[in-house]
Amino acid sequence: MKPASGWDRLRAWFLLPARIWMAALFAAPFAIVIVYSLLTRGAYGGLGQPWTLENYQRLFDPLYLEIVLRSFLMAAATTAVCLVLGFPLALFITRAGPRKNLYLQLVILPFWTSFLVRLYAWLFLLRDTGLINTALQHLGLIHDPLPLLYNNGAVLLGLVYGYLPFMVLPIYATLERLDPALEEAAADLGAKPWPALLHVVLPLTAPGLRAGSILVFIPALGAYLTPDLLGGGRTVMIGNLVQNQFTTARDWPFGAAISVGLMALVGLIVLLMLRSESETLV
Amino acid sequence: MKRSLAIFAAAVYLFLHLPLAVLAIFSFNSSRFTVWQGFSLHWYAAIFQDPQLAESAWNSVVIALVATILSTAAGTLCAYGLWKRGSKLLSGSLYLSLVTPEIVMGISLLALFQWSFRWLHWRLGLHTVILAHVAFSIAYVVIVVAARLRTFSPALEEAALDLGATEWQAFRYVTLPALLPGIIAAALLALTVSFDDYVITSMVAGVDSETLPMVIYAMARRGSSPVINAISALIVVFFGALVLISERVRES
Amino acid sequence: MNRRVFLMGIAGAAGCARGPRLNVYNWSNYVAPDTVSNFEREFGVHLRYATYESNEEMLAKVLSGNSGWDVVFPTHNRIPPMRQYGLLASIDHARLPNLPNLEPRFQLPPWDPHLDNCVPYMWGATGIAYNRSVTPPPLAWADLWNPRLKGRLTMLDDPEEVLGACLLKLHLSYNSTDEPSLRRAEREAIAQKPILRAYLNAEFRDQLVAGDLLVAHSWATTAQQAIDAAPQLAFAYPAEGFPLYADNAVILRESRRSELAHEFINYLLRPRVAAAIVETSRTATANGAAQALLSDALRGNTTLFPTAETLTRGQWIATMPAATQRLRDRMWTEIKSA
Repeated sequence: MKPASGWDRLRAWFLLPARIWMAALFAAPFAIVIVYSLLTRGAYGGLGQPWTLENYQRLFDPLYLEIVLRSFLMAAATTAVCLVLGFPLALFITRAGPRKNLYLQLVILPFWTSFLVRLYAWLFLLRDTGLINTALQHLGLIHDPLPLLYNNGAVLLGLVYGYLPFMVLPIYATLERLDPALEEAAADLGAKPWPALLHVVLPLTAPGLRAGSILVFIPALGAYLTPDLLGGGRTVMIGNLVQNQFTTARDWPFGAAISVGLMALVGLIVLLMLRSESETLV
Repeated sequence: MKRSLAIFAAAVYLFLHLPLAVLAIFSFNSSRFTVWQGFSLHWYAAIFQDPQLAESAWNSVVIALVATILSTAAGTLCAYGLWKRGSKLLSGSLYLSLVTPEIVMGISLLALFQWSFRWLHWRLGLHTVILAHVAFSIAYVVIVVAARLRTFSPALEEAALDLGATEWQAFRYVTLPALLPGIIAAALLALTVSFDDYVITSMVAGVDSETLPMVIYAMARRGSSPVINAISALIVVFFGALVLISERVRES
Repeated sequence: MNRRVFLMGIAGAAGCARGPRLNVYNWSNYVAPDTVSNFEREFGVHLRYATYESNEEMLAKVLSGNSGWDVVFPTHNRIPPMRQYGLLASIDHARLPNLPNLEPRFQLPPWDPHLDNCVPYMWGATGIAYNRSVTPPPLAWADLWNPRLKGRLTMLDDPEEVLGACLLKLHLSYNSTDEPSLRRAEREAIAQKPILRAYLNAEFRDQLVAGDLLVAHSWATTAQQAIDAAPQLAFAYPAEGFPLYADNAVILRESRRSELAHEFINYLLRPRVAAAIVETSRTATANGAAQALLSDALRGNTTLFPTAETLTRGQWIATMPAATQRLRDRMWTEIKSA
């Protein structure tokens, strides 16, 4: 019995820092947000007394539900594109031999510059007089500049750009752990490379694909910098709505209610995903 | 197939790095507007003349280092603790913290700090930013280290225990050294995430704790100043060099 | 390693403070490059100077009453609420010998007739920045709904300004609070969306200069900055009327450096200092004495300093009652989602 209790004690100590941090700096703040969501907006912003459920009732207004739907679609599109781009890239890195780590770092490298600055670089590229349009016009492929900016396409581009590494890394991690013998066996049994990929490798990578999808979908759902800058403020996604409530509208309680709603949605998705997964990420 | 994969990968890498290349090229533009007007290094000179930039860069580095150390330590221990027997609550909350939209995390932390300031005589500052950064980095560390742990056979530890070691000794002398590459990878990820963070940091930063992303954001909002381009180029070169060096060291 | 790094960091941060300190939070681009350093040198203090882009950004920090800032610069219509929330300290006129330098109309402003809590700093207006190639030139709000501008027009990303422009277009008051008027304004805004390129507060300046945009809803100072870079641009004060705003220096009640704060505000009131700021940042100062020191070109600049006749069409932006705020906010969401 001695090893068991020794292990338990060690484990309790080891888990303590993380537990404290999560309790104090994740759970507690969120509890406060829930409290805020039940208050009313003060006379000139801030918080006021009457406890109410009104903020939650407001959430079900079709205007806001539409925003939720739009955000969902955008996040789903982002995830889909990231999957299409990320899986082959991860595959490539896995098979790159000794240069594996270098290629991996190349994926993370853009992160070292400020995300905002990279978004502004895209503004510069996509503008009417930006690099892409100028180049295309010089090559004679178009006469008038293409409206590449301030629309949903630009927002999608920005979101994919920002979250692609989050798709690549989990897929790579899963691919790494795949036994190469499986692919060899498939080849021995006569499978051509592409079908082997589709029918053998892809299904086995499913946990990584799922993990990557969550890591892209949910943050994309709550994104606000990208839709704001690349969308030209023309569309409102959930993130913009929350941001707006905490700044311009100064309606903290409503903003808090939206956040709680968003987190409930997120929690639901995570729960569903994890339930169907035998192997969890943490 | 290998060739088509390589071409595809090259295209994706181009996509990822094109904005950086553009930034770098235009950091040498003598005009402040986005029309090329000649080669110049004066934006780089301007960086070193700006004390606010220097201070914010320093803040960013300090915050990132401290937050990384704290979150890597806490995260590694946590991943190890969850290895043989999970904890639904802890795993769930870690996972949730990972996917919480930044703005929600930012405002909840701001709410917490403002509420606690009634009791503690504190204000927002470097310490609040560090606390916040650890809060969102721990999950990243746990994931990376846990992934590494999964490839690690418990048999080794059991052997050590059979030979008379305590659980702590088994961890310290058997598992930990083997985990080191994973821990370093996790630390690097935590460092990256912390250094680049804007949304959460801007909400919980105080008077004294402007970080580099915040300064860059303020500059960028006023119009694209090539100073930003220069800073970004420098950052990329610096960390790129860091990565290359670590690769060389690893290979040798 | 952990502790050492932490202590190093603290030492580094502490080392930056030499002598007394003042924390000033201001709009971006509201001082000349050497304004702050000159003050630091002359008074032997260290000034922490940071900037913000919107009142809300500043208020979010300041509302807690424990933000650490000493002097901030709210727009005039935020001052009554700030006073109500007890956020403002009294201004001691005895400590501001340079106060008479203010233009007469800013000595008794409608939002604080006795200058109890604020000192006007810079003022401005919103209008239309446009490229001269647009003929006839857009000189009225109504011109911003012209279909030939499709895709080459931006409006400000600010619900007050956008709804205000729509209200003025309908010949209603910028400060209307009744729902029917606001609904009409909302319909106008939604009708404009198809020809609108984006809602931008700052990015439009570069795009005007580059020629991507032909017309932009703009503050006068931003427009002047663009005109400096591209002479083919111009600015118009719309015929139907336009909003006026003034940013004021206030001392926060939480500040424990009231004396130094007064010194700083007094310093900003010096004609030479104010004039230098106008020259570099293209803002319109409330400092009457400074205007005499400006270069002829700048003094006669009608974008920054419109004629008295033009000014008669201007309306000070009023403080929004809480009830209207909710309505307007919802409308803004509706407009953006449309």
